[in-house]
Amino acid sequence: MLLSTIHWHNGTVPGARIAVLFAALLPFAAAAQAADAADQRRRLQAVRGFWAFQPIADPQPPATASPWVRTPVDAFILAKLTAAGLQPAPPVSKEKLLRRVYLDLIGLPPTPEEAAQFLDDRSPRAYADLVERLLASPHYGERWALKWLDVARYADTDGFERDGYREHAWRYRDYVVRAFNADKPYDRFVQEQLAGDELFPHDVEALIATGFNGAGPRHIVGGNQDKEESRQEVLSEMTAGVGQVFLGLTVQCARCHDHKFDPIAQADYYRLQAFFAATDPADRNTASTDALLQHEAAVKAYEKRLVPVRKQLKQIEEPYREKAMEIKRAKLAPHFRAALDTPERDRGEEQRRLAEEARKQISPMWYEVVALIPDEQKARRRKLRGRMHALELERPDPAAAAFAVANRDEAPPTHVLKVGDYRHKQELVAPAFPAVLGSFGVDAGQSARGRRASLARWLTAPEHPLTARVMVNRIWEFRMGSGLAPDPNNLGLLGGMPTHPELLDFLARKFIALGWSVKAIDRMIVLSNAYRLAAETAAGSDADADNELYRRANRRRLEAETIRDSVLAASGRLNRAAGGKPVRVPIEREVYDLIFTEAEPDNLWPVTPDEAQHRRRSLYLLNRRTVRLPFLANFDQPDAMTSCAVRSRSTHALQALSMLNGRFMQTESRAFAERLRASCGSGVRCLVDRSYQWTLARGPSSEERRLAEEFLTGGQARLDDYALAMLNRNEFVYRP
Amino acid sequence: MELGWNAQVSRRCVLRGAANGFGALALQHLLVRGGLAKRAESPLAAKAPHFAARAKSVIFIFNVGAPSSMDTFDPKPALNRLAGEPMPESFGKVGGQFTDGSAPILGTPWKFKRYGRSGLPVSELFPHVARHVDDICFVRSFFTRSVVHAPAMYEVHNGRLFATHPSIGAWATYGLGAESENLPAYVVMPQPEGTPEGGTSCWSPGFLPSVYQGTLLRPGPNPILDLKRPAAMSAGRQRRMLDFLQQMNRLDGAEYDSEMAARVASYELAFRMQSHAPEAVDLAAESARVKREYGLEQERTRDFGARLLLARRLVERGVRFIQIYSGGGPISMQWDAHKHLKANHEKMAGHTDRPIAALLGDLKQRGLLDETLVIWGAEFGRLPTSESGNGRDHNPHGYTMWFAGGGVKGGRVIGATDELGLHAVEERCSMRDFHATILHLLGLDQHRLWYLHNGRHEKLTDFGGAVIEKAFS
Repeated sequence: MLLSTIHWHNGTVPGARIAVLFAALLPFAAAAQAADAADQRRRLQAVRGFWAFQPIADPQPPATASPWVRTPVDAFILAKLTAAGLQPAPPVSKEKLLRRVYLDLIGLPPTPEEAAQFLDDRSPRAYADLVERLLASPHYGERWALKWLDVARYADTDGFERDGYREHAWRYRDYVVRAFNADKPYDRFVQEQLAGDELFPHDVEALIATGFNGAGPRHIVGGNQDKEESRQEVLSEMTAGVGQVFLGLTVQCARCHDHKFDPIAQADYYRLQAFFAATDPADRNTASTDALLQHEAAVKAYEKRLVPVRKQLKQIEEPYREKAMEIKRAKLAPHFRAALDTPERDRGEEQRRLAEEARKQISPMWYEVVALIPDEQKARRRKLRGRMHALELERPDPAAAAFAVANRDEAPPTHVLKVGDYRHKQELVAPAFPAVLGSFGVDAGQSARGRRASLARWLTAPEHPLTARVMVNRIWEFRMGSGLAPDPNNLGLLGGMPTHPELLDFLARKFIALGWSVKAIDRMIVLSNAYRLAAETAAGSDADADNELYRRANRRRLEAETIRDSVLAASGRLNRAAGGKPVRVPIEREVYDLIFTEAEPDNLWPVTPDEAQHRRRSLYLLNRRTVRLPFLANFDQPDAMTSCAVRSRSTHALQALSMLNGRFMQTESRAFAERLRASCGSGVRCLVDRSYQWTLARGPSSEERRLAEEFLTGGQARLDDYALAMLNRNEFVYRP
Repeated sequence: MELGWNAQVSRRCVLRGAANGFGALALQHLLVRGGLAKRAESPLAAKAPHFAARAKSVIFIFNVGAPSSMDTFDPKPALNRLAGEPMPESFGKVGGQFTDGSAPILGTPWKFKRYGRSGLPVSELFPHVARHVDDICFVRSFFTRSVVHAPAMYEVHNGRLFATHPSIGAWATYGLGAESENLPAYVVMPQPEGTPEGGTSCWSPGFLPSVYQGTLLRPGPNPILDLKRPAAMSAGRQRRMLDFLQQMNRLDGAEYDSEMAARVASYELAFRMQSHAPEAVDLAAESARVKREYGLEQERTRDFGARLLLARRLVERGVRFIQIYSGGGPISMQWDAHKHLKANHEKMAGHTDRPIAALLGDLKQRGLLDETLVIWGAEFGRLPTSESGNGRDHNPHGYTMWFAGGGVKGGRVIGATDELGLHAVEERCSMRDFHATILHLLGLDQHRLWYLHNGRHEKLTDFGGAVIEKAFS
């Protein structure tokens, strides 16, 4: 029975929201044991009433005469607050609003000039104009990409022990940036990512978009891997992606059994998976013939340059490789040696096997060879390898290709798998949409080609109850700090009821009516009064402690990447270049040493040579699934192994250590101090003013000025420490 | 209300889920409404277990590359009797990674002797550990589901064949916090030559907040990344800087906002850690006798001995979970004896035998063994058949891991493999059983320790394992 399944230990009343949820669940629960088809239908009937599966309603903003209401969003918010006997918090200060909207919309703090432009603008349109500037900024798409790539679980490598590099994945990352910058209609965005190759066959951009399907981790292991098992893993990743990212349903739960809570039968899961049956991840060439020829020539020239250094290395190593082999040969068991000593033509079958085995045994490992090389030669070898690795950094970039997907000529059959195990095939299924949602007149398609196109058309049908709701809920969560429906990846029965279902539907309708424009919804949210509330809570005064009704703003710690970007902005060293190959920043020895290899570990992390690249926005740093940068990992950057709808935000001492002692912070805080020094000399008043402008985009209060001046007059080294302290300050790493 | 709600996980991450033991739906925000997340205590503050715990901390010795069970703790006399002969078909399919069982049976190069009051057999590879058999509970019937190193390692660490889930150290820390405020709660000490094949994912916090990550600890003056102040920064100077910082932070609402207060506290903890952690890893204070026992005076045991001695010092200081690896990096520094079994295992056991024995004796003498669970394990064992004529391929079908301390009853054997050590045939134990048992010894109920992630109540043991009760009752 349902209630026992969910381990309901708690005797206390869990609150109204849950009571509502339970009311919705109970009819379903009663039918949950349904066995035959009639029962199944009853069960679906019972749960169709659940809000997320119903058509999007057309609610009108509650009528109100309140002067607080600036936009329809405000009318919905105020109605709930009033009903709960609450008043909205006072508006946030102009300075804080400025920093908030910059961090939210472009992920960077305002420069002093940008700050002045807004703060000095006394017109009533000042804020609306600022919002337009930010929506038009090329950084807007970068900000959105951070969010979208979390959800898509994007990384530049496969993950797991081999963690192979996906040399074209970054083009998908840049596609996402471009799509949000161009305000690509979301329905088109969905279609391109799922089926760009099928729906828009001559559009390279759409082909690149299909990188979405393979963005998740991929387990490639050594040894005798079971091909069918690996294939099933790829399909599971693709299916889970659609469920979590677009549908906002935990369809992956139905891989092993009928969904325990949502009306997704196990067969529904495999019908959904069948849309991908013909799909393989594939790098697909997008370069012109000329470019390919050019690339080929460049590679040849490059290989040529490597020849001398490789030759010299071989000259050093070869004698010792032979020596190592001799030593190992001498240690062979007699029957192996005898087999090797027998001339090849005289070996019988057994001896041939033994000789083969023996050859493997005497083949030396790299370190067995190196151990024999005399020190002087070893030093030369080290130098040569250094030169080789330096040359390798100049390897021509591969010819342009899309990290994409390709269709097989025939779609292999899809079976329901008992407990998700590929070895236990049950009935055959064809592509079909989950029964609870229906098809909206879209043909599911049965041939190998076009299955994903059907899925994309279905998802973007205007009457689809989930696609638009899921996305506007994501947008809302992104800007307001918590979703109207609490879990943006799960609008199903376990996801929790939305706090403002009417507002959610209002936004979803607008979204579709306005051409699936993300910028339009962003604009509606950030222009509302609800967005512009103060975050401060006075001690003991909060009747809505978890702020479910959006009585005030949610103060929240910046994401790892936003902290890093903000530090670079303050130090004045941020490189704002957009797009391109991922950047490898230097890593700590301790991190390097953890990279798994059985080969010679001397070039596992070839740092990007151009130092200016190291100061790019964090979005462009190499995201390698098994080599997490400690600074980012400490601040809860997700591991890209599963879709992350909302990041966790933990607070712990390792963060403080990296913020105080880490190399990045040391370098940038000194640069920040240097920037201040260059700008102000030793003028303390100027130092304090500018430091506040550059970190917090505001001037200091008199108390802050007193503290700063007191600290700064303590000696020469004080400015470095002061700079570091400013970058560590709570206010600096929090969205106001 | 159930025990162990992690109050300090910021309320904003609870959408993604965070609850330990509350056990129902996506309701975390309701807890927050009750004011629980308002407390400014560290997320690593010690939490009460679900029920009385037998073990307070864990030292998990993971042997990378997989030691052979039939050559260490699970004697198979038939092996030498049948050496050189083909594997009898009655034993079933031999699924190795590189071999298919067509190679002949390989006898063991080592003799077994019986030790202790229990008279349990141990091979010549572990003569020192053998003296502690009366404190050891051998489970000879574990199995994993992959014949490949990394997936099997993931299974031992997180219960899945993939690196998608939090490791057991992260779960334990999430469930219990730590007794020590001044050290990380979950500490990892890999082989200096390199990581296990599963990589850093072995100690990943997965989707748990980063506060539950395994922290790499190294011997020496800079044991934790970024612990050491820059050369020009004295403690006094840093203190002045911190005082200034904290004065500003107070202006930012630290007095009434729990998150702000937690951040202020994290800086104080970091400051203290800078003096406590080097002290914790400084072995100078240990007596010459202790150092000798752990093998610090001998080249071959020095590294592993030092790491185990460190482990004991960390346990004394309240660290919750210590993951320590024997082996990693180049093949020559792993237990992965596809060839030259004898040379390989004598080398690897030579590194570890004496230090492990010293650890068990030391913990016992200090009265810490009762509350410290020591685990010796690996991703699988090795096949009875030969590879390359003198080595053994992987065998996930049945292998031995052992427990000592932490409420475990020593001098016991649980489960059995077949006559040649190929398959576990009696009391077979899965990794879910393994994890359920460890959680149980720590006082945690596997079904009540969960975290809501992407709409699913994720648990270490997923649908649950069977606690191996015979290990402690």
